Amino acid sequence: MIEKTLPKTAKRHTISQLSKRYMMEIILLVLVVVLIVTAPGFFTLRNILNIFRNVAITGVISFAMTMVIIGGEIDLSVGSSIALSAVITATVTGKLSSAGRMPMESAVWIGMLTAIVVGALIGLINGLVRTKYNIPSFIATLAMLNILYGISAIISKGFPITTLPMWYNWIGAGRFFNLIPVPALWLAIAFVFVYIIMNKTTLGREIYAVGGNPEAARLSGINVKFVKIIVLVIVQVFAAFSGIILSAQVMAGSSTFGRGYEMDVIAAVIIGGTSLSGGIGKAWGTLIGIIFMGVINNGMTLFGVGDFEKYVVRGLLILGAVLLNTIQVQSLQKVKK
Amino acid sequence: MSVLRASNITKKFPGTVALDDVSIEFKSGKVNALVGKNGSGKTTLMKVINGAYGDYSGKLFIDDEEFSFTHPKQAYEAGIATVYQEMSLIPGLSVAENILLGRYKKNGPFIDWKETYQEAQDILDDMGVNLPVKAMVAHLSVWQHQVIEIAKAMSVNPKVLILDEPTSALAQSETQMLFALIRRLIKKDVIVIYISHRLQELWEIADTCAVLRDGRHVGTIEMKGAKHADLLSLMFGDLKLKRRPEDIVAQEKVVLETRNLNREPFFKNINFKLYKGEVLGIAGMLGSGRTELLRAIFGADRPESGSILIDGKEITKPSPVLMKKMGVAFVPEDRKYQGLVQILSIKSNLNHASLDLIAKGLFVDSSKEAEFSRRQIEDLDIIIPGENYPMTSLSGGNQQKVVVGKWLNIEPSIVIFDEPSRGIDVNAKQQVFQIIWDLSRHGLSSLVVSSELEELLEICNRIIIMKDGEFIDEVNPDTLTINELYGLCMGGN
Repeated sequence: MIEKTLPKTAKRHTISQLSKRYMMEIILLVLVVVLIVTAPGFFTLRNILNIFRNVAITGVISFAMTMVIIGGEIDLSVGSSIALSAVITATVTGKLSSAGRMPMESAVWIGMLTAIVVGALIGLINGLVRTKYNIPSFIATLAMLNILYGISAIISKGFPITTLPMWYNWIGAGRFFNLIPVPALWLAIAFVFVYIIMNKTTLGREIYAVGGNPEAARLSGINVKFVKIIVLVIVQVFAAFSGIILSAQVMAGSSTFGRGYEMDVIAAVIIGGTSLSGGIGKAWGTLIGIIFMGVINNGMTLFGVGDFEKYVVRGLLILGAVLLNTIQVQSLQKVKK
Repeated sequence: MSVLRASNITKKFPGTVALDDVSIEFKSGKVNALVGKNGSGKTTLMKVINGAYGDYSGKLFIDDEEFSFTHPKQAYEAGIATVYQEMSLIPGLSVAENILLGRYKKNGPFIDWKETYQEAQDILDDMGVNLPVKAMVAHLSVWQHQVIEIAKAMSVNPKVLILDEPTSALAQSETQMLFALIRRLIKKDVIVIYISHRLQELWEIADTCAVLRDGRHVGTIEMKGAKHADLLSLMFGDLKLKRRPEDIVAQEKVVLETRNLNREPFFKNINFKLYKGEVLGIAGMLGSGRTELLRAIFGADRPESGSILIDGKEITKPSPVLMKKMGVAFVPEDRKYQGLVQILSIKSNLNHASLDLIAKGLFVDSSKEAEFSRRQIEDLDIIIPGENYPMTSLSGGNQQKVVVGKWLNIEPSIVIFDEPSRGIDVNAKQQVFQIIWDLSRHGLSSLVVSSELEELLEICNRIIIMKDGEFIDEVNPDTLTINELYGLCMGGN
């Protein structure tokens, strides 16, 4: 038996290493503590719950985007998918109910279903363009971003469509027990879904392998193209669902929805420690990233920071968080070597 | 005439002496070949000369003037230029930009393109080659890339020009053009050192040939009138070969067969049969098409024509997914980029090929996953700090065992090994051979490619010789010496 030699650092979990590992959690905690102390009205149950409601629209997509980015791809078209999904839901509902074919209450179901199916098809197109013609998903989905905005504007003729039934508002603005916002439930479901896929299924294992080293994954007999297509489809389905939540909140479908949301979606994923080069990332990290973004926005609102200044502050905080995270990852890698 | 003289050079690495008191001379006006089998110290010697290694003992002289560099850049500036096998060109730039990279003619703060192109043109004219200086490198052929590399080296008016396997990527006709170029170069006062694996070339291009063996300079011969056997015996000495255990025997049943398999320009008309329990070696030099053949059999690259049969069943569209289903495993030559996902854990890497087998519906059966991982770690004696550590925490040999273990988890019937012992230590090598033999005892067949021909002699039942993309011979390792095998692979008289 050969003597088993262990690297010296192998079994040491010093405080500094733990703090590096949970860097984002610690930053978030500090931010929250600061706000509790300084911001009036931050630490109330209703405010905390509102944070979750506010982040739900982009947060739901962030979870699916985590899978995409771990798989070594990206989808920039999700912002306009929100608009398209909202417009489709409202338009289909309007068309079916105005002709008197069915009551608006049930027509909206068909509207939502149509939006979800269209979302899946868009994801399929993104995936096929990526895998069949080997076009980087950054480019393919950037093009799709423009196409989808155009299509949603054409369908809606540039105006918000408001033919939606009253009950539909519950999806985006309802509250359980008059307290917990319904969108927080969608956020939780998205988290659990992605958590299970990434941690408990073979697909999750494949996504990590494909993102970590596509060639090694392919030569292990993993169907790399299929994996890439499936994550690009899932993220579009989630984006379509986000469009439904948003249209329910506003009670309209408009082509102006979702502008620039893709950046918030991706920022939350990256803040959560997912590597843009693929193979590394966790659903839990993205949850932290989403809450981080929500808390920053909420804090700035409470302090009455102006809309223009908000952009600057948010940008700087994102940069700072990612910078700290990157330094942490690099120092962890140094330990391994 | 100038002379590069190395005297009493010794270079040690932890655990090995790569160069052992080497004294050697290279003269200008002729082509000085440097040969030796893998690991004989050729590359180390070149790296001592071109400044890549600073910490050696001994002295280096050019025309009795001592020099010593600690960085390749210093050596380069002092006139020692090396053209490596791997190309260092920037594909998106023009020929002239590549030749004069970073040394463009300036006109104030701007690049004087007219002058720059002219200078590049002059260098090419001087070498007697015709290349469009404004063409983008990406649009040119491999042979032209090689010329640009040499032009780049020549642009600094070097005293010493080291060519490291310049022909390995070239076709026959291109090789001839390169030789013509080298012959023109030696008319200038340049010391040309030519490293090659292709022995037969040496009679054509080299004037003298220095031989290294196990880090020692064992002799320099004049190529004129030298015999093939003389060179081989210098290279190998009296090498004692280990033999495989006697119980490694092939059975009657054919498990894999190829018929007229083609993928030009890499290989053509490949026909062979692999028997149950057999360890079949494919011997050939770098660039003979052996790796491409293995990849095509596994479906990693689609062959152009011909067929692959597994257990007599024809595979019409080979792909890694399908071949895995057919029980074929593939241990690629480049473990780091093709075999493993370095950032993921040892446990997940050990399961990458067998995800279907550890699945319960859509879900992973985590107890099975752990068992699959533990099984290979124990069976193959993989030494790890913990199964959740990333691959980067393992040594080369243990990483290789993970690649093999990953495949054993699918219980394959055929395992394809491309360079199974590359970059791993002697102990790990022997362990990998033991694994191959154990597989054979269990009725698994192995197809093995290795640059270390003595390894093939040691582990295989049968060896097929591949040269320039074709099978040229089939030999029995029991009745063959290593010199004969090298002779067959490298060709020559």
